[in-house]
Amino acid sequence: MTQNKFNRRDFIKLSAVGLAAAAGARLIEEVQASGAEKGKHQWAMVINQSKCTGCEQCSLACNANNDINPAMRWNKVLKDGTVKGNQVYVPRPCMQCENAPCVEVCPVGASYYRDDGIVMMDYEKCIGCRYCQVACPYDARVFNWESFEGENPYVPEWGDPEVERRPRGVPEKCSFCYQRIDRGLELGLVPGEDPAATPVCVVACPTGARIFGDLNDPNSKVSQALRENPSYRLRENLGTKPRVYYLPVKDNVITEG
Amino acid sequence: MKTIIKTIRENIFTPWGLWLAILGLFLFSALIAGIAVFWKGLVITNLTDLVPWGLWITIDLSAIALAAGAFSMCAIVYLFGLKRYEPLARTATFIGFTGYSMAMMALLLDIGRPDRFWKSFVFWNTHSLLWEVTMCVLLYFTVLLLEVMPIFASFDWLRNKYPKLAAKMEHMHHYAPVLAIFGLALSSLHQSSLGAVYGVIKARPIWYRPEMSVLFMFTAILGGVSLTLLASMLAARLTSKARINDMLIERVSQVLGYMMIGYLYWRFWDWLAQTYTYEPGRTEAFEILTKGQLSFNFWFGEMLFGALLPTIILLYKPLRQAPLWRMLAFAMIVGGVVAFRFDTNIVGFLAVIPYIPGDMAVQYTTYTPSFVEWAAGLGIIAFGLLAFSVGAKYLRIVDHRLVSEEHEPVMVKAGEVVAGD
Repeated sequence: MTQNKFNRRDFIKLSAVGLAAAAGARLIEEVQASGAEKGKHQWAMVINQSKCTGCEQCSLACNANNDINPAMRWNKVLKDGTVKGNQVYVPRPCMQCENAPCVEVCPVGASYYRDDGIVMMDYEKCIGCRYCQVACPYDARVFNWESFEGENPYVPEWGDPEVERRPRGVPEKCSFCYQRIDRGLELGLVPGEDPAATPVCVVACPTGARIFGDLNDPNSKVSQALRENPSYRLRENLGTKPRVYYLPVKDNVITEG
Repeated sequence: MKTIIKTIRENIFTPWGLWLAILGLFLFSALIAGIAVFWKGLVITNLTDLVPWGLWITIDLSAIALAAGAFSMCAIVYLFGLKRYEPLARTATFIGFTGYSMAMMALLLDIGRPDRFWKSFVFWNTHSLLWEVTMCVLLYFTVLLLEVMPIFASFDWLRNKYPKLAAKMEHMHHYAPVLAIFGLALSSLHQSSLGAVYGVIKARPIWYRPEMSVLFMFTAILGGVSLTLLASMLAARLTSKARINDMLIERVSQVLGYMMIGYLYWRFWDWLAQTYTYEPGRTEAFEILTKGQLSFNFWFGEMLFGALLPTIILLYKPLRQAPLWRMLAFAMIVGGVVAFRFDTNIVGFLAVIPYIPGDMAVQYTTYTPSFVEWAAGLGIIAFGLLAFSVGAKYLRIVDHRLVSEEHEPVMVKAGEVVAGD
């Protein structure tokens, strides 16, 4: 038996060492992975459902500015029951989760966190496996089943494209208009205050139902709104910690009929 | 050219020729379908944003599961030292190699950017289970490649033409125990984490349960070993090139029968636990499985024919010893594993989980694979059948005479002296 290069005992030892190493590495990683690195700004959006009329102008502006296929939506406006006979809406951009399932599951790291909390897509890295789409609790990702050729019907009426069109075979999603935020900050503007530095859906909303700003700034509009009003987030029980907050409809705001 | 036509004309009406012709037809249509998918994109499938994973993922999952005979048999032979099962390990290794090739073909079709497949090896998100699966599959495919080398070395043409190369490939057999260790480790990792790929998705509560990884591992071993045994027995009936030792197969199938009891036990508690309390999305999905459009698959495909009946056949000696009944049992287990993978994947999508607080009614969607998906999928299966057929005919992958010595334990009476080394 002694000539055997690999006997059972060696195998068990080797497996045990291997398993312990794997488990240890995993644990360390688990500790490191809890929450993304947080930078100076923490962008958030607050949507006041009392003010939303479901006109979908946010979606149209989004589709124009982000040059999205008209068959697809990054921002959906969904119906949310009624209060005193009035239809209530839930506009749904990407939730920019603090614990984003899409970032966790992406095998190549094409989905990632920016330090300001935005969940980004690297469209060059993505292999198109769609695991992120499977994992997203909010149906926020849309896949490019075919390439988007030709003119965007919402341009120029609803805005001009500010980002590159995505190729066929990758999923895409709302990015809080990171391009507007980054450019605005460079110009010394304040996202949430200056329209040019604010996500286009917020700017386009005719009733001012959406507000945007920095959670790290106690005087920002979002911080104030969240301090002064009751708010909720979608599927909060999952622990994803979305950065999109909703102010529910108050009974006294909407009048009957 | 003339000789080729002549050979075809002479052989097309033999059973072998017809078999090749049928497989060729499927392969050809799959080639067309594959080109169409690469040309037009995934828009020609019936996949949607609500059902992004469909038939091809099922084929991928099933091919990997049914390839698990390779690591199971290699572990039994080279690590647990049950040398007499070595010929079965040879068959299983070849099937494993074929299975992983099929899985990779299915994946290449399924990803939106097949031109970037290499990025999955270069860019790592170690937090992702799919990353882990990708890495293990890549490494294990390498292990399988080394493991099948001695098999390819037995190809007569290669032996005659390149004897030195054949000898080198044959030599890989000396590393079989080391390769078996790697195979067991890598397979234990990715076979179960393939289940966890679904099991960690909190957004879809029907999947979100720890049993997923255990069940995937369990079904992989059961299905993989069953397919190995079924293919061996079928080959022995269809070609004189394949020779089996029925006693070996019968022994393994009895063990398989006991493992099936373990599987049924798991499935029972897994099933029962899900009938309790209402949870949006999970309860509806579970009803699709047990009462709705997947109920036939579930009760007959997975449970009755996929688990219960084969368990009885494999554990009831008279039935187990009848080759036809035994083959039927293997086929049913294989079918049950495929049904389990198909149902598991699709049920998570069919009930669309609500996230709108004022409207928590669960929406339903449907999915039927498109013609292109079927054509490409059947072609991948045809590839697997072709590989095995050619292997059985030319590479002696089913040949239980390859090990002549039997290492039966010698029964010794107390006090008797055994002459030996």
